[in-house]
Amino acid sequence: MITENPKAIIAGPEAETMVRLENVSKQFGAVKALDKISFEIRRGEILGLLGPNGAGKTTAMRILAGYFPPTSGEIFIGENSLAKMPEKVKRMIGYLPEAITLYTDMSVMEILNFVAQVKAVSRKKRKQNIEETLCRCGLWDVRNRLLGQLSKGYKQRLGLAQALIGDPDVLILDEPTSGLDPEQINKIRALIHDLGREKTIVLSTHILPEVSMVCDRVVIINHGRVAASGTVEELEAGLDADHEITIVMGDRHRKNEVLALLESIRYVQRVSVLEERADRVAISIVIAHNAEVRPNINRLFAEKDIPLLELRTNRLSLEEIFLKLVVRENF
Amino acid sequence: MSKSLVIAKKDIGSYFHSWLGVIVLVLFVFMMGALFSLLLLSYGKLSLEAAKTAYEGLERIKFTHFVFGSFFVNMGFALIFIVPIISMKAFSEERKHQTIEFLFTYPLSDFEIVWGKFLGVFGFFLILILPSLTYVFLVRWLGAPLDWGVLWVGFAGFLLLSAAYLSLGLFISTLTDSQVVTAMVTFSSLIILVGWDWMAVAFDGKLAEFLGLLSPLAHYRDFTYGIFDFSHVVYFVFFCLYFLFLSLRSVETRNWKG
Repeated sequence: MITENPKAIIAGPEAETMVRLENVSKQFGAVKALDKISFEIRRGEILGLLGPNGAGKTTAMRILAGYFPPTSGEIFIGENSLAKMPEKVKRMIGYLPEAITLYTDMSVMEILNFVAQVKAVSRKKRKQNIEETLCRCGLWDVRNRLLGQLSKGYKQRLGLAQALIGDPDVLILDEPTSGLDPEQINKIRALIHDLGREKTIVLSTHILPEVSMVCDRVVIINHGRVAASGTVEELEAGLDADHEITIVMGDRHRKNEVLALLESIRYVQRVSVLEERADRVAISIVIAHNAEVRPNINRLFAEKDIPLLELRTNRLSLEEIFLKLVVRENF
Repeated sequence: MSKSLVIAKKDIGSYFHSWLGVIVLVLFVFMMGALFSLLLLSYGKLSLEAAKTAYEGLERIKFTHFVFGSFFVNMGFALIFIVPIISMKAFSEERKHQTIEFLFTYPLSDFEIVWGKFLGVFGFFLILILPSLTYVFLVRWLGAPLDWGVLWVGFAGFLLLSAAYLSLGLFISTLTDSQVVTAMVTFSSLIILVGWDWMAVAFDGKLAEFLGLLSPLAHYRDFTYGIFDFSHVVYFVFFCLYFLFLSLRSVETRNWKG
């Protein structure tokens, strides 16, 4: 089992910790949904929460949002404990649940007005807060429409809008793009990215590319435990896996010379020809332990005066990292 | 407290966003009106016959008691049908549509949510019975002799009984996300309470006394006679608090059930 990989912990104390989970466990009867989860999120960071279905993502999100308390452990938002000052802390949090179904018989405006009142936004600020949120989420044109008449994309935006009411510091978004079409997904992602500049965001998703696109850091949860955490690059490095470089060379006749030279480079495990054409040869090089050999390859080609047309690293995708971690954890 | 009012306001509004609220309002007002008219007519007939036969007892059949007393007794039975329809929306609908998840994550305490929901169902109920106040003015305008004490005591008793029934319905609505199930179970529970009262009337001795002590209708009866007994008020307040407390505990079960 992997716990926190030392390489995967981000260095740099420049930003303060905004959200902190300390040994949070949650038990439903005999089922242990979360088992001593601990992680931190710094101010202004977008954290992606990943995990296979049933890993405890939604439970973690719900606990963070104050939907129910953890069985043990504590959550701090800023300096405040969620258990000790629930109302104050909840006012600092905006939550978008996975299944977003607000009151279908109310108009967008009525819903946001209700939310603002419940979140105790003062009467003076209420109008401004609602109007800003409407514009920001692209809901201004549909503000008087009933929620029941809106498309899924608008509903999702309204979900974000209600989370943003009251200007919370922390946003907790459970699968914010699920069930949307590609264009809507892009819009929502852009909005989240935009929000990430001023707010601390925790978002869970099962769409892995989304994580690399939107998130600064990743926490992978499996079986209710933190399987790994760090930036995508750190996770790749931390896995200590082999990776592959593809090069394309120009001079076909010197192929064998190049292959021999490449094999002599340290850490190179395997060299094979991928494709051979009249004017170019594509070669795959497998490198052990994530070692950096690109400068060596470059130098070699320069010294021998062989044209190097292309050099590209095929890193492990997040998908592969995820699978490796989860599989390693499971067996 | 003010947040509970916000929830109550939203819930009352939601009755009128659907046809349910409007239909219930129309039916209820029609039913109240029909009942009241029938009582007025039968009193008129009775008083005419009394005049013909010079029936001495007429003096004692006080107008207020005959018309309004009977009105409140009958309305007490009408509650059995109307309360399940009102209270079924409270929690069941929000659970069904998962909107309750939002309420739990907003800066609200569970108590504020339950209290807000109760104010919502009770507020809607007040709107339903508001038109009945016009009967009082109608009767005044007709020049009938009104005993204000009897009238207001009956009215207070009716409000207490409905609050008690609604709190029971509210609790049942926290148990399931199906509005139909909530309405059926609430209806059955109210029928059982009526049966309970009949048993109290049918039996004798200690058993009858015990049954009567717990029966809401037994406590309600004095109000319809125009008798104000503070112990009955205490009974109804406890009845409400008990079911609001159960609702609160029921809402808290999400903490360990998920």
